[in-house]
Parts: sequence; C-alpha cells; structure tokens
Amino acid sequence: MGKKLLLKNIDIPGISSYEVYRREGGYKSVEKVLAEKNPEAVVEEVKKSGLRGRGGAGFPTGMKWSFLAKPEGVPRYLVCNADESEPGTFKDRYLMEHIPHLLVEGMITSSYALGANKSFIYIRGEYFYVLRILEKAIKEAYDNGWLGKNIKGSGFDHDLYVQIGAGAYICGEETALLESLEGNRGNPRIKPPFPAVAGLYGCPTVVNNVETIAAVVPIINDGGEAYAAIGVERSTGTKLISASGHIKKPGVYEIELGLPVEEFIFSDEYCGGIINGRKLKAVVAGGSSVPVLPAELILKTAAGTPRIMTYESLADGGFATGTMLGSGGFIVMDETASVLRNLHTFARFYHHESCGQCSPCREGTRWMDQILSNILKGNGKMKDIELLWDIQGNIEGKTICPLGDAAAWPVASAIRHFRKEFEEFIENPAAVKDVKHYYSVNNISEA
Amino acid sequence: MNQTAYINDVAYTIEPGETMLSFIRKHIGKSHVPTLCDAPNLDPFGACRVCCVDVALTPGGNMKTMASCHTPVIANSYIYTENDRIQKLRKNIVELVLTDHPLDCLTCEVNGNCELQTVAAKVGIRDVRYPEGKNHLHTPKDRSHAYMTSDLSKCINCGRCVRACDEVQGELILSFAGRGFDSHIVKGFDQSFAESDCVSCGACAQACPTSAISDIFESKSINFTEKTRTVCTYCGVGCNLDVATINGKVKSIQAPYDAEVNIGHTCLKGRYAFSFYNHGDRLRSPLIKRNGRFEEVSWDEAYDYIADKLTAIKAQYGPDAIGAISSARCTNEENYLMQKFIRAVIGTNNVDSCARVCHSPTAIGMQKTFGTGAATNSIEELEDTHCMMVIGANPTSAHPVTGSKIKQQAMRGKTLIVIDPRRTDLAKYAHYHLQLRPGTNVALLNMMLYYIIAEGLEAKEFIDKRTEGYDEFRTQVLNIDLSKMEEITGVDRALVKKAAIAYATAPLAMSFHGLGVTEHFQGTYAVMQIADLAMITGNIGKKGCGVNPLRGQNNVQGAADMGAQPYQGAGYLDVTDPEIHKRYEAFYGAKLPMHEGYKIPEMYDAALEGKFKALWLIGEDIVQTEPNTNKVKASLEQLDLLVVQEIFMTETASFADVILPAATFLEKSGTFTNGERRIQRVNQVVKPLEGTKPDGQIIVEIMNRMGYAQPDYHPDTMLQEISQIVPFFKGVKWNELGINGKQWPVKEDGTDTRILHTETFTRGKGKFRFKDFTETEEITTYGKQYPYILTTNRELEHYNAGTMTRRTNNAIILSDDYLLINPNDAVKHAINNGDMVCIESPRGKVDVKARVTDEVKPGILSTTFHFPEVMINIVTSDVHDEHAKCPEYKVVSVNIRKSKGKYKVT
Repeated sequence: MGKKLLLKNIDIPGISSYEVYRREGGYKSVEKVLAEKNPEAVVEEVKKSGLRGRGGAGFPTGMKWSFLAKPEGVPRYLVCNADESEPGTFKDRYLMEHIPHLLVEGMITSSYALGANKSFIYIRGEYFYVLRILEKAIKEAYDNGWLGKNIKGSGFDHDLYVQIGAGAYICGEETALLESLEGNRGNPRIKPPFPAVAGLYGCPTVVNNVETIAAVVPIINDGGEAYAAIGVERSTGTKLISASGHIKKPGVYEIELGLPVEEFIFSDEYCGGIINGRKLKAVVAGGSSVPVLPAELILKTAAGTPRIMTYESLADGGFATGTMLGSGGFIVMDETASVLRNLHTFARFYHHESCGQCSPCREGTRWMDQILSNILKGNGKMKDIELLWDIQGNIEGKTICPLGDAAAWPVASAIRHFRKEFEEFIENPAAVKDVKHYYSVNNISEA
Repeated sequence: MNQTAYINDVAYTIEPGETMLSFIRKHIGKSHVPTLCDAPNLDPFGACRVCCVDVALTPGGNMKTMASCHTPVIANSYIYTENDRIQKLRKNIVELVLTDHPLDCLTCEVNGNCELQTVAAKVGIRDVRYPEGKNHLHTPKDRSHAYMTSDLSKCINCGRCVRACDEVQGELILSFAGRGFDSHIVKGFDQSFAESDCVSCGACAQACPTSAISDIFESKSINFTEKTRTVCTYCGVGCNLDVATINGKVKSIQAPYDAEVNIGHTCLKGRYAFSFYNHGDRLRSPLIKRNGRFEEVSWDEAYDYIADKLTAIKAQYGPDAIGAISSARCTNEENYLMQKFIRAVIGTNNVDSCARVCHSPTAIGMQKTFGTGAATNSIEELEDTHCMMVIGANPTSAHPVTGSKIKQQAMRGKTLIVIDPRRTDLAKYAHYHLQLRPGTNVALLNMMLYYIIAEGLEAKEFIDKRTEGYDEFRTQVLNIDLSKMEEITGVDRALVKKAAIAYATAPLAMSFHGLGVTEHFQGTYAVMQIADLAMITGNIGKKGCGVNPLRGQNNVQGAADMGAQPYQGAGYLDVTDPEIHKRYEAFYGAKLPMHEGYKIPEMYDAALEGKFKALWLIGEDIVQTEPNTNKVKASLEQLDLLVVQEIFMTETASFADVILPAATFLEKSGTFTNGERRIQRVNQVVKPLEGTKPDGQIIVEIMNRMGYAQPDYHPDTMLQEISQIVPFFKGVKWNELGINGKQWPVKEDGTDTRILHTETFTRGKGKFRFKDFTETEEITTYGKQYPYILTTNRELEHYNAGTMTRRTNNAIILSDDYLLINPNDAVKHAINNGDMVCIESPRGKVDVKARVTDEVKPGILSTTFHFPEVMINIVTSDVHDEHAKCPEYKVVSVNIRKSKGKYKVT
C-alpha cells in the first residue's frame, strides 16, 4: 500500500465540510506558517521537497516560486490553474470535488509564502458544480477567519477568488489563462516577459496547478524532507493519476512516484488489469498530448528495464521510444482499440481548441483533423502519412504556446509506433468500416 | 562591454533587449527574414511564425527554432536564418496559409504589392499539397463604408489590423472572433464597417498585408508613378503624408512609418479627404463682381483692378483703411509675404490671421508667463510623462493622431485628467473628469492651484530659482472662496482636489489645451493659469512635461510666427518698439507705421464705422466661422473692396469684389509649422489646377504690380529672407529641413530645439499672475432671458467650415451639424433624437437637428459649425477675450424650442 498524502482522508464522511476537514487536522499548515512568520522558509521547504509542477510540465515548484519578482509597491498574485481540460485527466476535479478545503488551505499557505494578498482559482467552465463546492469552502474559510483581513491575528491579509472559464482548453495555458482572467480573449502571450515578472495585470504572478498547491499542505505539515523521501530521484512525493480506458478499475489513484507501470496497470490495488482478459495494446501515459506508446515500450524501456511512474523513466528514450508523465492522464487501450480512431478524437479536440493565433497550429490542427478524417472515411492516400508528418513537424516547437506541441505529439507518436495501422486503413478502406474484418486482420479475438 | 551574437556564423554587436528580428534586419538587411504578422508600428505578435530562425549555443550546434520577431537576442548565440530546416519550415507554413487563401492573384487588388505574395515567392511555393477542404473563401465582401473596404476571404489572421486598431488608433473596433481555424476578424459587434463605430483612420488598411482590409483608393497597392512626401493641411498635428500620383493625379495617401510626428498613422481627413483638390467646384479663374455678378477676368485685369482700387483707397482714406486677414492654412512663406505686403507696400499694421479666433490667448498668455507663445514640449514625450491633463480640448476628434496617442497612454494606465463641459471620448478614459460649466475655467483652475498650495505640493526649489511673483500669487490663491467656485463650476471640490493632487504629485505631468480654454472672455487668464500650474509643480523645461496647446490649424503656429498679427511683426517683434521698427524698415526697404493695427474683430467694427474700406482675405470663410454672422456680413457690405483668395466659392467669397483662385496644399511648396514648433516641408505633389496659382505667387505678383520688387515665390529663397529677420528661424534652410523638419528655435548652425525653457525662461523668470474669476457679459446680460448655455465643438469627420471636407466622402459619413442636448432637457421640450430644434440667442436663431445624449449636462448644449445650411454663428456672441480679442464661441446664452420648420436660416 503506497503512502497517501492528498487523498488519505478522502473516504472520511463529510470531509468536504469545514468542520470535518478541520477536525482531521485541516488548516494546520496555515497556522504553522503564520506562527513562524518566515515566508522565505516556506519557499525553502517547498524547494527541499523536490515538488514538481503537477499540471504536466513538471517544473520544480520551489524554483518557480523563487523566480517571482518582488518590486517595491507592486502587488503579487498566486493563480491556481484549475482549468483541467486535457482529455484523460480528471484528478483536479476529483480533488476539488471531494476535499475542497485542501486546495483552499494550499492557496493560503502558498500565498503567504509568495507574499500575495490576492489569489485566484481559475476553474474550467464545465466544472460549474465544483465551482459551487469551492465557493462554499471559501465562504467557510472566510467565516472561520482563514481568509480576509488580518488572518488569525497575524497581520496577513488574503482574499481568494474563484473565476470560472468559458470552456476553452487554451485557457489552461498559463498566459492565456491570465488573459482570460483579465477579461480578454484567451490567447497565449508571447514570452518573455514571463508571468513571474509580468503576469496578472502586469504584476508578478505564480501560476500553479491544483494538485501542486494541494501538495504544499503536507509538505509544510510534515516537512520537505519527508516529502522528498517518497519517490525516486528527482521524482519525489506522490502523484494523482487519472486512469481510464480498457481497465477494470478506472479512477483517480494517488501513487508514490516510482511505482512500476506494470504494477499500476495490472495490480488489483490500482487499475486491476485489462477488461475482458484482452491484451494491452497501447497507453497514453500523461494526458492526450503525450506520445502514445505500444505495450512493449510502456512496460519496459527500449533498453529493457522496467518502466516506473516517474518523470524520468517515462521519458527514457526521448520521443523515439519514450513518453511523458504529463498531467497523469493514463489512458489504456486494449487490442480492440484503434490507435488511429483514438488519434482522430484527439486531433478533433486540438482542431477545436487551437486559439488560432499561430498559423502553423491554426491551419495545421485543422488539416490533421481533416486528413485523419479522410483516412477514416476510407479516402486516405499513402502520401497523407507524409503530409501528417510534415504538419506535425511544422507545429511542434514552432508556436507561441505548448498547445501546438500537444497537438503534434500524438500524431507523431502514432505514426512512429503504429504506422502499419495507417497503411492498413489506407490500403484497405474496408478495414475501417468493418470492425470484424479489422479484428481478423489484426489477429484480435472477439470477446 | 559590448556583447555579440552570430548571424550565420558572422559576429555582430547586440543592443540590450533587441529582438533577433531587429538584430538581423539591422545587420543583414530589411527583407532578409520574411515576416507576415510584423509591422513597423506594432508590437511583436509572434503569430505567423514565418520569421522563425534556428538558434544554437555553439557554432552549428544543437538547434532550437525560435520566432525571431519577439525573442530577444541571446548573447553569444548562433543564429541561422536560412538553413534547410528553416527554409522548409517557412515554406510549409506559407503553404498551410495558402490552403485557405484564394489564389486569384492576377485579379487581386494588391497584386504586385502583396506581402503574402512576396513571402510566398521568397520561400518558393510551387504547389499546395493539401486536398480540398473547409475554407473561408466565400466570406462576403464589405463595401458598406465611404472609404473602408474588406474582403476577408483574403485574410490570413495575422492580426495586424486588430493590433493597429488597438495599438495605433486605440479604437478597439476590430477583433478576433471564433477559435482556431474558425478565428476571424469582426468589426464592432460583428457588423459592417459602416454600422460599426469605426473612425475610418485607415490604420488597419495600411497594416493589412493582403487585400483583406483596404480602402476605396486602394492606397497600399496602387502602382503609382510618383510618391511625394508632404504635410497634411488639416490640423496642427502636422502628419506627414506619402501621396501617390499617377500622371499628375493624386490617387491615394499613406502615412509614412519614418515620420516622427505620426509614425505611420493619420486620420480620415489626412488619409482620405483629399478629393476636394480637383473637385468640379474649384475656382479656376479670377473673378470680378460687376453689377452683382461675378465675371471671369484675366489675372492682369484682376491685378490692375485691385491695384487701382487699393491705391485710390490709400490716397483717399490713408493706409489704415486697408487690411488683410492672412491664413493659417497657408505656408509660412505665404504668411510672411502677406504681412510684408500689408506692412511694406500698403503701409499699415492691419494684418491678422485666424489665430485670432483660436489660440491668440495662448500666444499672449504664454508670452506673459514664459516669454514664448508656443508649445514648450513635443508630443512624442507622451511616452515619458506620467500624467496628462487635457483642458478644453477634444483631440480624438480635432487632433486625431495626438488624441489617439493620449488615449493609448491612458489605456496603459497613465493618469488622465480631463477638464471639459462635455464627456468627450477622452473623458471616458479619464481618471478624473471635471465636467465644469462652460466659461468657468478660471474658477476651476484656481481651485486646482488652491489645493496644490494648501496641500503643500508646490515645487519649492523650482519656484525659488525660476519664477517671480509667487508670494503674492500664493496669498491671493489661498484667498479664493472655494464654496463659491464650487458652485460656479458645478464640480465637486473633492474631485478637483483629487485631480490637483494627481497632477502635482506625478513625477512628470503634461498639459494640453485647446479652444475650450482660449475661446472665452477670460481665455488669456486661463492660459496663464495652466502655465502657473506647470510652474508651481516644476513641470517645465524637461522631457515629458510642459504646456502644450493643441494648435488648431495646420499652420496657425506659423501664421503668428511670421508676423500675421497687428502688434507683432515677423518673429514676434513689437512693431511699436523704435529699435525694432528701424530694423524692419531697413530690412523691407520701406516706410512702416509704428502703431498697432486692427485685430480681426476691430476690423469689423472699423468697417461698420466707415473707417475701414478694403480687406484682403486668404483662405478663410469668416461669414461661416466668425461669431455673430449678421454683424460680419454687415461689415463686409460696408467695404469698398473685398479681395478673397480662395479655392472654392464660400459664403464669404460671395461678398467679394474680386476673387483670386488659389492653389491647394497639394499644388505648392513651402513650410508648415505644427503645434510643437516643428517646421516641416510641404512639397508640391501636383501642378496647380489650370487657372490657379499658389497664394504666395499671387501676393508676389500684386506686390510687384504695386511697385515693390519681390522675387517669384519659392520656399528656398523665401526661407533665406525669413531667416534673416525672424530670430528663431536663423538656421532654417529649405534643403536642410529633412523629412521630419526642425523645431524652432533653430540656431544658425541648424540645431533645433525639442524642449523650451530648459535653463531659463525666454523672459528670464517665469511670472505668476493671479486672476479671479469674472462671469462673462454674455451670461450676466442675457443669462436670465436665455437660460441655456450653448457651446461649440468639432466633429472628427469635418474640418472647420467644411469647405474641403464637405467636398469629400467625409460628407457621406457625417452629413449634418447636430445639437447635443441632455435627455432631461430634451424631455422638457418634447425633443426627440433627430428633431429640429430652434436655438435662439440675442443675435438671431437657427434650426439644428437634435442628438439626445448625456455627453452634456442638463442646461448645456453643444454643436458644430461645419455646415453652411445651419450657420450656427448667427447665434454666437460678440464677447471677446479682453486681451487677445479671441471671440467667445464657447459660451452663448440661448433658448431652445422644438422647431416646426426644416432648415431655416434667418
């Protein structure tokens, strides 16, 4: 049984209410930092913990915090990115829905460390029911003196606001999020300047993911070293994984980083293996944007060592044979799944969600969708594969924000690892329409 | 230590903070790296990605592709601008863009001038590999507007138009709607150009790299035979214009990016309202009125007629029965010639110009306080200032390019204080809008001075070192009756206090004022108070501050500089000073009078009294624009000779005995001096219309005809002459003015002056003078009987009497004068939007169309005088500024009622 830091109290009845949360030791981290009155020490503690951004990029949180500019007389802001919209990722929703005070507590503690008197939770528009839960928790926090003026007599003022998005995936990109928060069209900003220097309303701003901010609470309560003791090398602590797809037990799991991938998929403690006894075909390990890997490469690296759930191990082999931990959206596909159909779903998503600012992404996402659609309608041509390869290459690393990369990587990895499936669909359009035929040519037993 | 970076393995020195694109352009060439979304006057955007380059930290090392337009150069990095990878990338991106672009280049408006076409050719697109698919090729064209056009099927989503609308004009009309592939440009609330609130500045059309947004003149694509740079003839901003001509005909106008004044921007008047120049209504022959009808005559006949008449009048009544109104629309050289003609040939100081009716109080007020009656600083210093105070000016309409610059700064969060009876466009962006009752500037400015002193916010060191008269001034200011001033102005004293503190505590504060300050009974005093505010806070003599009158006409500064004033000759020298008199006499080689001449309003009075018999008028429609029209008409009827130099038959010209057809600004050369003392070259674009002559040449010819030898008009030789007599023009030479001109004073060696009064004031020390508020006679005499106060304003689309703008498509955009009336007042008189309202003053009555709006407070009305159909000046008053004799257009006691009639001129 792995150690749980964020979800350990999740099953306690009434944990979403202030009373129960407080009874179970909630808001202790706030008490602690307010009593010690040393914001720099809080930053140090987070640095010591080795906590890395849980939104997907994995940037060391303590380092991000220490980059925050602190010019005289200019307010600083903490913004929580709760715009969780990546297909396959639903851990933040789970956390906010069931244990909202953990996020509120993390926001206050983190804001104290950063010297921010105002912070914002920018929540995905579709999470409107979670918004109500958060607002209730925030009201309870105000009512009990954890928010507002002179918190618990410490002299620290803090106000926390929730802002709901309007349903755009792009607003999960931190600078687009800030634009949207300011009331503008959610287009990413060019960088530099980075938000740490000029973020919300042009002021120094830290943007952190929900899970990252929640993790600050156990780090402060138990110390950064205790947190760093969990995990492997530079992947410390625990991570929430949203598991979905052809597995017996889909859901949100808190794992200790370093857990073997095989154990995660097949052990009863986690996903419980593939449904209906089918074979594992492929995994998208970190949300829709990370490269898809075939079964043999997700379980073991190209060098043959077992893959474990860490930032480093999953990325082993680069994009040629590896992938990313990303946001922890773990999508499992069994042998009956079509990587191409799945890819088309992702491509449609990115076509729909590109902001339209950069020409390669605006035009490219649309063409990737259309070309894949053509192939899946049986109208594909062999040269379409090269065209797709070209388009993803034009987008990757060539756009203002990482949405372009996110759109390109699934296409690149599908071609890299599942080129045969493309060729089959193009050469034999019947395979696309006739599932039975598809199964037969792929040696899949129908269950 | 200079840092370096490498471009294609060659080292170059980098400037701190510069982008890779500007670094590459500087060293390798402007078009080396192709771009689509980049524009010279816009911030980097990074959207097209065509400017991508490869960057490595070692020669040929591990490369990362970066957009050069917004990425700062990294010291010691190796930039590769066109390796195979980059070339392929650019080609692929442009190919992607072309998948949603009609490939109809041959019939496209911008064929040959299209940036997409150029870039596509540069990256070498030969075919588009993509299949058929969804596209935007059937987006309908927008031909709704008088000038602006759009064909968004040609749009490549580079955002240049949207950014131009935001960053250059600040109008925020254009924006992106939709997301990703569906993202597209919308105007206003997804309307047409005509329906939207577009101000037709054309910045978007100039910015667009394709023909997605253009104008009816196809200004960015026209294949001209010649392009001439000149200066706009409308307001005092002095925008530079690039005028494209084909076979001697003006086809279109664009704003040059290298113009310091307007940096690629201009307004719809400068950019689009030029078609008056060859309008069918242009006067094409000298005309003499015989038996009440104008007859075409030869130039010789006209000159003889005039010369004989003038000689006779001079013989019978003396030279002081003759006078002239020179024109702020004409060049410096022409104004100089006009005053020289009147002084040296006729022998009187009766020469004035329309500066009289706009900024004469500014000239006098600033001369009294500082010693020089001109703007102390330059508009570009808006970038440096922290606080802007705009008093009695509506620059977004009357000085659009300066207005948009102020607005830009306000939108970036700089403090903006607006003092205006109307909620002007800028007032909507202001931190403090002091909406005072018209005519109470002096009361309000005294309140501001009071709070600055009371709060101890004076710049004591500056006051001690640089000024005089402060102690007495201080006592007097502190003695004002605040409650009374609050009641008079109608502005909450707490708000005034806040604004005063904001102005005084800003590290640098700039003030701008317009005719809402000067066209008052106490105009000169208000100007002096604005100058006092600058001195008391030390906002003089350095970058980013000062007192900056927004001069109305293109060369109103120059007309006064050149001596078109009855008390000062060329260079503001006092004509009654014996020393100076001697100098002028020697220089002109003529006997000159030593007493002051008539100011414009005094000319009317003298004419009515029978003392003033002949008036020479250049380019001003005084019947339509001077206050109290009926009096002006009556005085013109008393004249024995009225000579009018004009380009069109105007209300005034119809009263003339002789009309001389003049050339427009596009047809002549010379210099205009803008509101920031910048002497700029006006270059002839086309030949004068057949039958017309440049005003300067006309004056030269009449001078010669009357026996004074004056060489033919040419700006070069004229400036040589002027530089010998006007002290601050000493170093001005036609061939050395360059593309951006020079700001006077210009020293003999040619160096010019950006900021005045840096070390000392022109008069030595700055002089504080207190003046208490006095109610204008207009109100004290007529206020009870005529309880409404009418003030006057300008609309963006038209220029003054509209003589020129009414003969362009601007008249389609705005075709009437409107009366702004508060909803409360409208209800009282059962007036609806669009109803005709009869305005009655002690002078007469006119009918104007109502526009019901809360831009004005109850009891206050405002209107324009752009259209002769209304002739609003029939009602305006006869009160003048007591020093400058500038008419009080801004306070008129009137009564209103709903009118039954249609347009009716009484």
